[in-house]
Amino acid sequence: MAEKKKRAPRRSTMGKAAQRMMVGGMPQEEEEILQSPMRMALGTFLHDKVAMAGVFCFLIIFLCCIVLPFFYPIDLYYQDVTQANVAPGFGMIKVPSAMQGKAQDISVGSTFSVGLDTEGNVYEWGTFPTDKLKNIPSSEETGKLVMVSAGLDHVVAANEDGQVFTWGNDRMGLSQVPMELEMGGAHIKQLEAGYQISLALTEEGKMYNWGSQYLLNISYPEGVQGNIEKFAQSTNIVMVLTKDGEIVPLSANTSSAYTKIPEDIQGSVVDFDLTDESAAAVTSDGRVHVWGNNVNGTLNVPEEIQGRVVSVSAGRYHFSVILDDGSVVSWGDNTHGQASAPALSSAAKQVDAGYYASYAITEDGRVTSWGLDGYLMGTDNLGRDVFRRLLVGGRMTMTVGAISVIISTIIGILVGGISGYKGGKVDNLLMRLTEIVSSVPFLPFCIILSSILGNSIGETQRIILIMVILGVLSWPGIARLVRGSVLAEREQEFVTAAKALGVKEFGIIFRHIVPNIITVIIVNATLDFATCMLTESSLSFIGFGVSEPNATWGNMLNGAQNGTVIENYWWRWVFPSVVLGLCTISINCIGDGLRDAIDPKSKER
Amino acid sequence: MGKGRYLLKRLIYIVFVFFIISILMFFIYKSMPGDPVESMLGSLKTSMRPDAYQELYDRTAERLGVNQPLPVQYFAWISNMLTGNFGYSTQYQRQVIDVIGAPMFNTIMLNLFTMIVVFLVSIFLGIATAVHKNGVFDKGVQVVTIVGYSIPSFIIALLAIFAFAVKIPIFPISGIRTPGSEATGIAAALDVAWHMALPVLVMSVSGIGGITRYVRASMIDALRMDYIKTARAKGLREKTVIYVHAFRNALIPIVTITTWWIIGLFGGSVVIESVFLWNGLGKMLIDGLMNRDFSIVLTMQMFYVLLSLAGNVLMDIAYTIVDPRVRLEN
Repeated sequence: MAEKKKRAPRRSTMGKAAQRMMVGGMPQEEEEILQSPMRMALGTFLHDKVAMAGVFCFLIIFLCCIVLPFFYPIDLYYQDVTQANVAPGFGMIKVPSAMQGKAQDISVGSTFSVGLDTEGNVYEWGTFPTDKLKNIPSSEETGKLVMVSAGLDHVVAANEDGQVFTWGNDRMGLSQVPMELEMGGAHIKQLEAGYQISLALTEEGKMYNWGSQYLLNISYPEGVQGNIEKFAQSTNIVMVLTKDGEIVPLSANTSSAYTKIPEDIQGSVVDFDLTDESAAAVTSDGRVHVWGNNVNGTLNVPEEIQGRVVSVSAGRYHFSVILDDGSVVSWGDNTHGQASAPALSSAAKQVDAGYYASYAITEDGRVTSWGLDGYLMGTDNLGRDVFRRLLVGGRMTMTVGAISVIISTIIGILVGGISGYKGGKVDNLLMRLTEIVSSVPFLPFCIILSSILGNSIGETQRIILIMVILGVLSWPGIARLVRGSVLAEREQEFVTAAKALGVKEFGIIFRHIVPNIITVIIVNATLDFATCMLTESSLSFIGFGVSEPNATWGNMLNGAQNGTVIENYWWRWVFPSVVLGLCTISINCIGDGLRDAIDPKSKER
Repeated sequence: MGKGRYLLKRLIYIVFVFFIISILMFFIYKSMPGDPVESMLGSLKTSMRPDAYQELYDRTAERLGVNQPLPVQYFAWISNMLTGNFGYSTQYQRQVIDVIGAPMFNTIMLNLFTMIVVFLVSIFLGIATAVHKNGVFDKGVQVVTIVGYSIPSFIIALLAIFAFAVKIPIFPISGIRTPGSEATGIAAALDVAWHMALPVLVMSVSGIGGITRYVRASMIDALRMDYIKTARAKGLREKTVIYVHAFRNALIPIVTITTWWIIGLFGGSVVIESVFLWNGLGKMLIDGLMNRDFSIVLTMQMFYVLLSLAGNVLMDIAYTIVDPRVRLEN
């Protein structure tokens, strides 16, 4: 010992000296010799670069799936065709800097916006659902535009002579502007592009509509046409405010939630607008009255603004209002931040809300925007945000995988442990059972079971069913492994000792032997976890696993089974594929690393 | 114990397993939703007088034997199954036996080609990486194989479609032959081969990943044995040492894993057939489930069971060939 101490400083290099300074003069070599096998395995594992990369990668994906859904909440039942197949990217509400300071009119379309400055120049920004939107008519053709409105995939605009222009989607009669409006001369008061429909209102109170009437069936009650002050439209209905301050629905069918207009406000309404499920009206005393279905809190008007509201504008599920002091307030759905109105630098002149965003134009012509800026990973065919579904889908895929592995590991340990320890007839019987279960063709059997049993049950029960099917069919591998290890361990002295002490057989197997082979079990369970995730994804992919609206990485890819989607909407399959692939590769790397660490012999392979 | 007796014993055991599984299948068959008599009579219920319908119902029930005790029904069912009487497909309006021929051929062809590709590639790769262990080539192959077996086949399929059918359109996206093609003989065979290229490629990538790793591991184990040292000491050529002495011994674990892989391959081709709209058994199974055509479903399931049992028999035969010790055991 003394000799060693004397020799040590001579051997030390700069690095060792530095290490000694940090940790103190501890004799390092001796400690290494005394390491337990477990610690040595851990050390080997921590030095395995591939395995550590796997751990790192898996942890990041895991944490993202657990933590991020709290920041990006999702309504699984939400669907919106107006947002279908939007390409990934941001900038939907990034107002062009050339427009700042001279903005005149602005309008929110489905995934794009259109703006107009005081000189009549048109600006378009965002993600365009159709390339036809880029065919903006030249200024020689249009003259000075003063009014603009964006719809699902088309734009209408009017110049100072009252001529109406339209571009973008030209089907369903959207390009057939009524003759009076095309010629000009009418004093256009309000102009709106909607869902496959365009609407215009003149100063004389006459309304025009053209485009598809498939969704919106417009019929004018008697005495309304020619007496209109303002109109508002959603995907379900068009309503008008007459010059007498009354709100009238332009619909033959009078029994929807929108038409239950509070009687006491009729006659004193100054402004109103419609979301998809509700309506809000401002009366002359500055109060806001709301009615309709309370979806996403659109009816929860902030109490403090009552009595101070000047005008209102509505998006799909939110309202934005201007108060008498020129500030703006929004409420309703806040999924994309559209209900979080910012403080403005000066008083707002006009607020334009539409779809999932709002713009406020101030007195000095500057524009402030809030709401949906874009989708990080695009949207799918039902307009659902791929990124948010990826997060909850990951949680679901991992949960199903983990629980299936827990089920199969428990069955495997029970069967393998009893079989290996008991031997003889019990062993023979259990091993034949194992053989039978592993003879059952796995994937076809899963498909049939989930199809037949899962036909008449709810979504949650279906998820549980998938977990149970996967767990109950995938235990033979682990049972064989446990049996082999138990066979090797049962002749050890500690088992004899336990027997001599009178420990029950069950106790010997599961208290004494199993803890000794737990490392083997963990390695196998890790590798099985990846396999179960793959099987679940495959099942969901062909439509026999977890079903919609619940998301898993597999069923997100279900829609990508045809060439059109693969070619045109790459974001719908690339992101789930990459994450699923990364996740299973890292789990397999971790499993391999663990096996190498526990069984050093396998590393020589 | 001789080779013959060993095989006979295994065969008897497998027949026993078959009956156990078939009982399981029978219960699935029984738990299928819907009244078989009613579905057989179809729309007659609405068009006939109630008393006449009841009489017809009873007679059909008698004929189908649904009133008899379960064991009797089981034996009637299993003897039908074994004699090729798989029932009537409501989806195709024909006997099941008449409609499963072509899909069965397609599936077997697809899987057979995949097997050939996988064996050729993975045995070569496995031996090469084992011999040059820890070299650059070995490391590269290791990375590729771990990716190959970790990524689910349907993702590889999507990537392959994107690369070779959309971006560089050299292969068709889906289907089994060009629609409306009148070609016969060699031209028709080439057309099918052209359609088969992508599915075979996709299924091979997943297969090669797993099998290569096993071949490599068992080759490394075999190469460490003393008899290899002896063979080298005798002055045998390195090729003989590797391909005769080492590979023959490495085959035993490979046979086991290969059998499981082949069974899994047929099951897994369900997904690939569904992606590539390959008119095979897997697609037929899914279509049958979608259309609630249970005669088809059950026949498919029976085929898969038989296949996996046949795989077990083949494994036993292969064992007796590659491993002389099997004859001495038991």
